Amino acid sequence: MITPFGKSHHLYTSSFSIHFLSESAITIVFGQGIDEITFDSVHQFNAQLNRLPFEGFISTVPAYASLTVFYDPLVVMHAQELQGLNGFERVCNYLIELQQKSPLIKKKKREQVHLPVCYDEALAPDLAYVASYHNISPEELINLHSGAIYQVYMIGFVPGFAYLGGMPSILETPRKEIPRKQVPAGSIGIAGKQTGIYPLQISGGWQIIGCTPLQLFNIERPSPSLLEAGDEVLFEIIDLQEFKFLSGSNS
Amino acid sequence: MKVTFLKPGMLSTIQDMGRHLYRAQGIPSAGAMDTLSMRLANLSLGNPSNAAVIEMTYADVLIKAETDLLIAYSGTSSVLYVSGKALQDNRPLFIPAGQNLEFKHQDTGSRTYLAVAGGWDVPTVLGSKSTYLTGKFGGLKGRILKKGDSLINTNDLTEVNAYLLSRLKSSQINFTNWSIHKEHFSPPDKNIIRIVPGNEFTWFRADSLLNFLSSTYTLGRNADRMGYHFAGPPLMRSLQTELLSTGVVPGTLQVTHNGSLVLLMADGQTTGGYPRIGQVAQIDLPLCAQLKPGDSIQFSAISRTEAEKLYLKREYELRKLAIAIHMILK
Repeated sequence: MITPFGKSHHLYTSSFSIHFLSESAITIVFGQGIDEITFDSVHQFNAQLNRLPFEGFISTVPAYASLTVFYDPLVVMHAQELQGLNGFERVCNYLIELQQKSPLIKKKKREQVHLPVCYDEALAPDLAYVASYHNISPEELINLHSGAIYQVYMIGFVPGFAYLGGMPSILETPRKEIPRKQVPAGSIGIAGKQTGIYPLQISGGWQIIGCTPLQLFNIERPSPSLLEAGDEVLFEIIDLQEFKFLSGSNS
Repeated sequence: MKVTFLKPGMLSTIQDMGRHLYRAQGIPSAGAMDTLSMRLANLSLGNPSNAAVIEMTYADVLIKAETDLLIAYSGTSSVLYVSGKALQDNRPLFIPAGQNLEFKHQDTGSRTYLAVAGGWDVPTVLGSKSTYLTGKFGGLKGRILKKGDSLINTNDLTEVNAYLLSRLKSSQINFTNWSIHKEHFSPPDKNIIRIVPGNEFTWFRADSLLNFLSSTYTLGRNADRMGYHFAGPPLMRSLQTELLSTGVVPGTLQVTHNGSLVLLMADGQTTGGYPRIGQVAQIDLPLCAQLKPGDSIQFSAISRTEAEKLYLKREYELRKLAIAIHMILK
């Protein structure tokens, strides 16, 4: 792409494009939509890069169709193994080579997480609305929503907030017009095509149809976020009593 | 070394260079907003650049020295007074026990950093001592500093720390005959913020891009550690494509649906779905950290290669400075 500033900003290969984000971060874009092929490309490349990092590599942040790679430009500029006139080029060259070297590595098995979910109205203030919006009964809604296999596309917005794809398309529901001031931690909501899980009590506009008693985010854990982008999630229906037992609120 | 807060000021927190390994879990880096001042305060004392400092917003802070202190401060929002005497920034300062340190606000900036020999001692959470207020972790119990809070330094004194302490220790306020010349790091014009055109730069209308790079943008009241909202000519799009949420970083300039400009800062979210019109060059992010609501700036575009060159140059200069300060041992 030619920008008004002459210098090319992006590098393209057959299956991804690489973009400048900052002096110490670049973003690889694998596609333009929310789909499983793009999802797999992001996570396979993420696994490959974390297994074979370059000198100066710091971390990655996967999103719907992209992977952002963080690095230390000082280390990159002095790394013997990297070639290019500047840090951006050096990292780009490494990434392109890495992708060409082994484009067909064994497909990484997705981590499966079973998440207990209570769809009781006490914890699902928008369940009745969403069901009536789609002209189905609450039971049908619960069966459809809990029957799907979800992929964690991204953790973002606030620490541990999981954006899930894979919801049956007939459950697509627009966000609430006026966001709630307080959505309890563990709440499971729908916004458009997506399902999301609130890790903390915050304000939010997603349609809340259930709640998990598990802690999505706990700073005391070595890895505070329960879910990671790339995981697969299965919802298991529990009743209010089990919810209370699992969340420890009845002890 | 120990201090107690008599007046904590508007918003004082413990910060270091930030938490960089957990962004994939949605955890922002946090860390000092003005990393240049924060590092200069540390360097003045011979601390590692990542030692934890106190970030004071606007200041009007009063701190009691419970013990002898070896400190340095840097930043543009205040001047340190001890016993009615103004003390210079970017210089190692010895303060005897019992004195009160008063950071008096001045209108030239919004943040000041206080470093102590060895760094302030708070627990490391996920690799950093930085306070992340929204998540309520890091720093001192994940919160802002309050009246009555006490802080001590770590025992990890460097050779330079120990040398300075032995040289300056006295019954009175004492300091070295040298200081860091901070102006060396100042850009030609602190109201010009250099940016690299963002990935969605070409999504905007030509007249909006012209405005973006030639008009004045004023920082609004909605400006905190998470992000800055600017007022100025709206930035309208020619391409209405929805952007899929993707990685963003401190310094990313996003444009919201109504065409207003938001700059993500240290506590900014890790992913975003607003089109990115630009990325503030890292060398100028400390200037943004010192802006106050009502301050006006202009954006000037540079290439990514130029931004990287400036970044590397700054890093090499800071390294040289650390070596130069280490030379006082010889």
